[in-house]
Amino acid sequence: MPRTAITRPAPARGRTRARAALAAAAAVATALALAGCGSAGGGTSDITFHMSKPEAIPYFRALVEEFNDQQDDVRVTLDTASNLSAGFLRGNPPDVGLLNYNYEMARFMERGALSDLSDMPEADRIRPEVQDLVDQYATYPGRTSVLPYSVAAASVIYNVEIFEEHGIEVPTTWDELIAVCDELEAAGVTPIYSTFKDPWTLGQGLFDYSVGGSIDVPGFLEQMEEIGTEVGPDSDVSFQKDILEPSEQMRQLAEYSNDDAASRGYGDGNVAFANGEGAMYMQGPWALGEIAKTNPDLELATFPLPSSDDPDDLKVRVNLDLALWIPEASTEKEAAREFVSYLMQQDVMDEYNAEFLGFGTTTDAAPVTDERIVPMQEYYDAGAFYQGLSRSIPLTIPIDNYIQTMATGGDIPSTLATIDADWARLALRG
Amino acid sequence: MSTPVSTAAASAGALVDEAEHGSVDHLAGSRHDRRGRTRVDPIYYWFLIPTLALFTLTITVPAVLGIFYSFTNFIGFGDWQFTGFTNYIAVFSDPAILASYGFTFGFAIVTVLLVNVIAFLLAVGLTSRIKLKTPLRAVFVIPMVISGIVIAYVFNFLFSNSLPAFGAAAGIPWLSESILANPDLAWVSIVIVTAWQSIPATLLIYIAGLLSIPGEVYEAADIDGAGAARRLWSVTLPLVAGYVVINIIIGFKNYLNVYEVIVGLTNGGPGTATRSIAMTIFTGFTGGDYAYQMANATIFFIIAVAISVLQLRISRGRAAN
Repeated sequence: MPRTAITRPAPARGRTRARAALAAAAAVATALALAGCGSAGGGTSDITFHMSKPEAIPYFRALVEEFNDQQDDVRVTLDTASNLSAGFLRGNPPDVGLLNYNYEMARFMERGALSDLSDMPEADRIRPEVQDLVDQYATYPGRTSVLPYSVAAASVIYNVEIFEEHGIEVPTTWDELIAVCDELEAAGVTPIYSTFKDPWTLGQGLFDYSVGGSIDVPGFLEQMEEIGTEVGPDSDVSFQKDILEPSEQMRQLAEYSNDDAASRGYGDGNVAFANGEGAMYMQGPWALGEIAKTNPDLELATFPLPSSDDPDDLKVRVNLDLALWIPEASTEKEAAREFVSYLMQQDVMDEYNAEFLGFGTTTDAAPVTDERIVPMQEYYDAGAFYQGLSRSIPLTIPIDNYIQTMATGGDIPSTLATIDADWARLALRG
Repeated sequence: MSTPVSTAAASAGALVDEAEHGSVDHLAGSRHDRRGRTRVDPIYYWFLIPTLALFTLTITVPAVLGIFYSFTNFIGFGDWQFTGFTNYIAVFSDPAILASYGFTFGFAIVTVLLVNVIAFLLAVGLTSRIKLKTPLRAVFVIPMVISGIVIAYVFNFLFSNSLPAFGAAAGIPWLSESILANPDLAWVSIVIVTAWQSIPATLLIYIAGLLSIPGEVYEAADIDGAGAARRLWSVTLPLVAGYVVINIIIGFKNYLNVYEVIVGLTNGGPGTATRSIAMTIFTGFTGGDYAYQMANATIFFIIAVAISVLQLRISRGRAAN
């Protein structure tokens, strides 16, 4: 999931005019719809369904068609391209959204733009630890605004053939991991294939793994939130204090990377790793499909990055790859809920997860079967997971760029102090 | 994006103003009514209305709204409150924003110098009596018609792959690593690509300027025994000085808005070494920091207006001479 740099949520401009024009358009549309109802006598509700995960579009297009064919009450239109921020801004967001849940989406939820779904029976099926992931970004009092649909679990992807060839066991402690890296290096194999040119790959990879393995991420963020403007060198919790060690670990691992890591991007990395140019790769399941395009027969597996000396203290990084919501502004909430219930049927969810290497979010979800991600199932079931720190802080702080600085030789303490200063300044304005 | 728009608006204003001073308005369309007053045919006002309406709707209104919201804590939607000058105070104490101003101005100065020196020398060459003058001019203008982001991605490939491969083969250690990945050198790549892209436009203006110099002055210089260097320094340069001023000011203002070339090359990195003002402003939309970056944009707008006013002063001063 490379984050596109050039998405342009429309700024707030010409709001009043746009709203007036929309109101007029809506009035006309309503009049037409009423006229339509009058003549046809039916009660078909039209809803739009926003789903923009590129690789899953054909899948959901087929699903929407199937749903439209099997009943006449609700007509769903798949929307894969419109701008969400602009939709919310104008007051005409899609009726159902199914997309990556992140800090950006949380903004809408925090301001009450998403409706309460807690009374839907489907909401009770969600695993509580998974539902908690939503609340880590933001909450709206008294509401369950977002239903997690699919979780992507990420950890170290490794080349099984290379590991076996050198007789290497999967490391379970930090020291073992370093020993593995040294051994590979001595054997002339690049231990870790890195793509520093795309800062996000570092953020969600080495950095999140190093931090998530040793820090209680939600607890850290909660305290940071409380301290707010006081965050700094003397505060109880801060990046420069709590994240220093993980950052140094990240740097130590980064040094085991390919020599040209600084000029390699995500796409280069997938091809190189597929061609066996590195033993380990810090990417999520989204990369597995890309690697398979180059080398479908490559045997891969995953293990959580150990960052302490306790072999039982292992966690995987997760993110809410897809989550469902219905905006407060939707005029067809009932129809939207009907479609949400359809999508939330267990077999529909299981089928999606099986195809896109996702983990189920409900208590009755089927376990994953793909060999490459099966090793993560036990950690996922045990709730041994965390959301990446780099994706849990306000987007205004260019965290990925700071991480890039730290990983490629920049001064770690001073960069962390800069993040603290950014944090405090943001709290002041907030 | 409000920044490029606002600077564009400012420079459009400046150009309009200039045109008025060149005064073409008395030429056509005016008739004298019975009392001898000049009466302008209303049709000329009708010509203005569509543009005026569009300009107001798409540029003036959003700009005013943006400035308005810079005094609030608006995040793009939902509730908001007035926060007075909080955003402005925060902007002035934000090292990330100050660094982006430092980077952008430094970049603009270096680029404007490089572009003008190269374009001027090229223009001198392309207006002299050389063979293949016309096809050469066409070749030099090609970069102008390619979109900036495309150029940036092509150069990105060259800097990340081709150049390091060449450096490694030739045994030049500093070249065998991508300069895009070097925080101290990444800005050089942005200067090179921006210059490559914007030399043609500058070149065209210089060619026009050089062609407007009458042949007699060179003949006179020849008679006085001036050599080529002397002619260039004492005849050509003073006579195209107006074009130099225009190129420098317009170029400088454009380079302050640098955005897509950086997105295509370094995306602000490595680290935060190459984040331009326009990029920081844009994070206001992607990062939900709308009001704050509107304050930044407002400050940037004021700077752009100041530069436009300066440009007007200088060009009027020259016109008066």
